[in-house]
Amino acid sequence: MATKRLKIIPLSLFVMSAHISGLRAFLGTSFQIAKAEFKLKNEGSYLGIFWYLLSPLLTFIILFLVFSDRLGGGIPNYAGYLLIGVIIFNFFIRITKENAKVILVNALLIKSVNFPRESLIIANLFNAVVSHLIEIVLFSFILAFFFGTNITGFLFYPLILIPLVIFAIGISFFLSAMTIYVNDLDNIWAFVTTLIWLGTPIFYEVGGQTKLLAVNLFNPLFYFITLAREVILYQRLPELNFMVGAVIFSAVSFFVGYFIFSRLNRKIAELI
Amino acid sequence: MSSEKIIVLEKVSKKFDIGFKKKQSALGKLLSMVSGREQKKTIWPIQEITFSVKKGEFIGLIGKNGSGKSTLLRIIAEIYQKNKGNLRVTGKVVSLINLQQGFRYRLTMKDNIYLYCTLFGMESNEISITIDSILDFSGLQDFLDTKVYQFSNGMLQRLALAIGIYSNPDVLLLDEVFESSDEEFTFAARKKLRELSAKGITIILASHDFRIISEDASRGILLDSGKIIFDGSPAKAINAYRKLPHSK
Repeated sequence: MATKRLKIIPLSLFVMSAHISGLRAFLGTSFQIAKAEFKLKNEGSYLGIFWYLLSPLLTFIILFLVFSDRLGGGIPNYAGYLLIGVIIFNFFIRITKENAKVILVNALLIKSVNFPRESLIIANLFNAVVSHLIEIVLFSFILAFFFGTNITGFLFYPLILIPLVIFAIGISFFLSAMTIYVNDLDNIWAFVTTLIWLGTPIFYEVGGQTKLLAVNLFNPLFYFITLAREVILYQRLPELNFMVGAVIFSAVSFFVGYFIFSRLNRKIAELI
Repeated sequence: MSSEKIIVLEKVSKKFDIGFKKKQSALGKLLSMVSGREQKKTIWPIQEITFSVKKGEFIGLIGKNGSGKSTLLRIIAEIYQKNKGNLRVTGKVVSLINLQQGFRYRLTMKDNIYLYCTLFGMESNEISITIDSILDFSGLQDFLDTKVYQFSNGMLQRLALAIGIYSNPDVLLLDEVFESSDEEFTFAARKKLRELSAKGITIILASHDFRIISEDASRGILLDSGKIIFDGSPAKAINAYRKLPHSK
């Protein structure tokens, strides 16, 4: 009995180390692709990574100038409220848009080399997370210096970022696999994101609008943005149903997205 | 040559659904045009292929365009999934199937080497050690920081083959890797491939260059319409190819 147990332990250690080395190799591949993509995107660009900051910053400035008196008039710390909405939406859109075309963009590579195609999606995620974190640092300074916001709440942001990332990966898996079958997905997704932008309380608040609230209960971004605002801006513990909702949306998105991707993955190389 | 079988295929078949023009009524044509969907028909580019390859064997894979050579290589590399049959491949497979077209053209050669070696399962420290060998072999030492879009086809092919050879493969799958190479590089690369084969690395080279196949390969396989027509000595495989009807 004791010998049997001894045999099982090294075997399980072996299996575990094989998994760890597999994961290391996978992350290494994703990192190398991310590095290449990052260089490609900034190749020949004068502002480089600052273009990523410029887009949400300009969106924020315009929305703030237009809406701060009317729509944002009754919202405490409207600048922070708006900025958090803009950067979370921007992060989600950046990952999903890039990943919606990632398979088609890498068609020649996929047809030539057998490698885990998931690493293409994770590579885009790495780049999006890095630029998102830079956005967070820069914009938290803007909030602190120009609007006198207490930014200590940003320390808790990773608790919201992790489920948000899992949610975005799930959607990315789904979109990247479906673009092979649905040629118009790029256009459809562009339209859907416009709807999400308008339907999510980013530059306005739900207030007493029950219909809008009912719709947003099915909108995952509403949960993540609300959680972020509660924790970062208002430094209070969010309502339990928002926390549970965010976790459920993340888990469902990830498992459904990954399931669809892994089912369609085996046919990707021959359909592109 | 070892008797260990590295690649085993048993009745492997592959199916594709390809677009084609079907005779349709005017209404059918209109519906196809509006929906944007094309008619599909099923073809079998690989049909019940059975063969095995021993460790260190150098296989010359020949056949007309569209005979199924690249598809077969992609099935062995598991880029395409087979629809029927059994496939077993032992060890690390490195496939160079139009790899030069997949390079990131706006990146430097160094960046491409790091990217592709990583995709072939190498770690950064291994690549740092190997990069000099890749440069020496390809003869492209002076272009390390040059963007790849400035390379000629021959240079791209040199780079692809050098990356493949130095990625520590157990099985090397090569598809028309000498098309644009000059004589000097082709000579050096053929010598290197023979050395690798002697060291126990299994090579399958799909090519229309019968001189290379007859002089370097230890075995020739002739494919026609997705089936193996001949499997034996390279010279006999080439003879069998020459006897194929020109068109059907």
